[in-house]
Amino acid sequence: MFPRRLFEHGAKIPPEQKKLPGYRGAINAALMEEMERDSHIIVMGQDVGKAPPFGVTLGLLDKFGPERVLDTPISEIAMVGAAVGAAIGGMRAVVEMQFGDFLSCAIDQVVHEAAMIRYLTGGQVKVPMVIRLPCGAGQGTGSHHAQSMYSWFVHSPGLRVVVPSTAADAKSLMKTALRQDNPVLFFEEKILYRTRWEVPPEYYNTDFTIPFGKADVKRQGRDVTVVATLAMVHYAIEAARRLEKEGTSVEIIDPRTLAPLDRETILASVRKTGRLVVVDEAYLSCGIQGEIIASVTEKAFHHLKAPPARLGNPGVPVPFAPTLEEAVIPNIDKIELAIRGTLTN
Amino acid sequence: MDRKTKIEMLRGMLVIRHLENKWGEAYQRREIDGIPPSLGTGQEAVSMGACMALKPGDFVFTTHRGVGPQVAMGMDPDRIMADLCYKATGYNKGKSYHVTSIEHGVVGMGGIVGGQIPVAVGLALAFKLRGPKQVVMPFFGEGASNEGAFHEAANLAAIWKLPVIFLCENNMYAISLRFEEFIAVRSVAIRAKAYGMPGVHVDGNDVLSVYRVVNKAAERARRGLGPSLVEAKTYRLAGHLLDDPGYYRPKEEVEEQWDKCPILRFKTQLESEGILGKGDMERLEHEVKEIAEKAADFARKSPYPEAKEAFTNIFA
Repeated sequence: MFPRRLFEHGAKIPPEQKKLPGYRGAINAALMEEMERDSHIIVMGQDVGKAPPFGVTLGLLDKFGPERVLDTPISEIAMVGAAVGAAIGGMRAVVEMQFGDFLSCAIDQVVHEAAMIRYLTGGQVKVPMVIRLPCGAGQGTGSHHAQSMYSWFVHSPGLRVVVPSTAADAKSLMKTALRQDNPVLFFEEKILYRTRWEVPPEYYNTDFTIPFGKADVKRQGRDVTVVATLAMVHYAIEAARRLEKEGTSVEIIDPRTLAPLDRETILASVRKTGRLVVVDEAYLSCGIQGEIIASVTEKAFHHLKAPPARLGNPGVPVPFAPTLEEAVIPNIDKIELAIRGTLTN
Repeated sequence: MDRKTKIEMLRGMLVIRHLENKWGEAYQRREIDGIPPSLGTGQEAVSMGACMALKPGDFVFTTHRGVGPQVAMGMDPDRIMADLCYKATGYNKGKSYHVTSIEHGVVGMGGIVGGQIPVAVGLALAFKLRGPKQVVMPFFGEGASNEGAFHEAANLAAIWKLPVIFLCENNMYAISLRFEEFIAVRSVAIRAKAYGMPGVHVDGNDVLSVYRVVNKAAERARRGLGPSLVEAKTYRLAGHLLDDPGYYRPKEEVEEQWDKCPILRFKTQLESEGILGKGDMERLEHEVKEIAEKAADFARKSPYPEAKEAFTNIFA
């Protein structure tokens, strides 16, 4: 096998990690607990009941029955539209796209119906719903099964966009998503599904939630601010560890939600460090990286000691072969290089 | 059906016709601009017959030719007109002309053809899961029956036996194309067969036939037997939009269709049944014209929404 990046596909879970909650299990736990708490929550999607492909909805059918866990035909438009209608009718649907990329089939339903119907009706309806979107490259899944398309939806008004990078965040943010009344796109990084995580004690509190729009400072630092999402958070942490040995202190911020985006936390960090690197798997052109950098240059231009840098997919369909995929997606080496670039500037 | 209900139906059709005319006049007088009004002249019997067959708690989703169902579901003509004229006093407060009143069971004309059919199916899913025997009736045109959204929604409603009446208002034209140019089968109702639901044709210019067919479909839906597709064949006497020069169809064709005007037809029928007496129609028309005039006046005198309104209702 081609040596993969940080999260090797099919890698054995170390024995000391086996008891820890996994990213996949965390989302599953959030769904279990919230469905238990709120009988209006239903889950819909292709194979979500009998054979969940990534296992996130495992056990829900047994526990809640076919009235609340609905296997759907391969009909993304119908699934998303049905979630909007169900919301108008007082339900709260969680729709799974088998791969996040498939949401492109239903984009009208997302940006015109889910996102706008409240506004267009002068606030007469609420649209509580969640669309779960397995995303990201790194497993050789090819162009139609490996994109990170959140920038498309951050661009559209009326949506909440969530990007959890750890088990604890995934669980608590999913619970938040299920306790608020707006349409949420919940992106789940596929290569994180199998990972296990140390969690804070609140993880086991069934009422613990994390508010949308609150970034997490993953690592304090003086010299450079790195804003990263999903798996890139962990790559950035690895890059920071390498640089620490040379005395460079890197601050890492995980926004956790992109809409709303916690600009304040990012700005405060850049005002301190004077340098910014944004790393994400999204396509660079009109990507979330550019939005974050624009926000910083507008509000903290005079604090910048070097031009901000952004890493992402430079505009290539995510390729199939691992050597090609690696060439396109940011990795630890590329992040390290980008950080060094801002330091020498 | 009793005399009173029949008169109510005729009156409703007249309100639709006159209210829409006022909408058109507002555009011609340049009181409103943007996309010219999409009038449903000649299609009033579909809206009135279909909506009269529903019960309180049922929902309709309208098309961009939506004034018909809005009136037929009992919405206030004043506020409908205010919405169509951008005013703060409309149901949507100037946010859109997708005139909606949840209270009346009306979700208004989305701007994407066929885009709300899946949403209607989702509402029916909620009704089924939550227990009340309410039905949902999305209106759509024969043109929209070519959209993927319709086909996906029809299949989902059929496999889950949802209480939906897919109401296809076949007015023969999708802007400039005539039915035969964009659908290779004889009718939209035939398409129901592909999803395992009943597909029924009805003369959409005969208000009582529409009522009977929709009533039957609604009963079926309430009994948990699933969706139906009703194709009400009618004719768009108006242009696609108000300024439509109509180059795509012969003038004689439209003139001939005016003889089949559903209002004229129902009036004649009620006269022959002795329900409408001498002078009744004139009185009714006078009364309805006043309603339309009052609505236009209300809209004209209403304020535009304040700028700050633009920034509300984006999120709950």
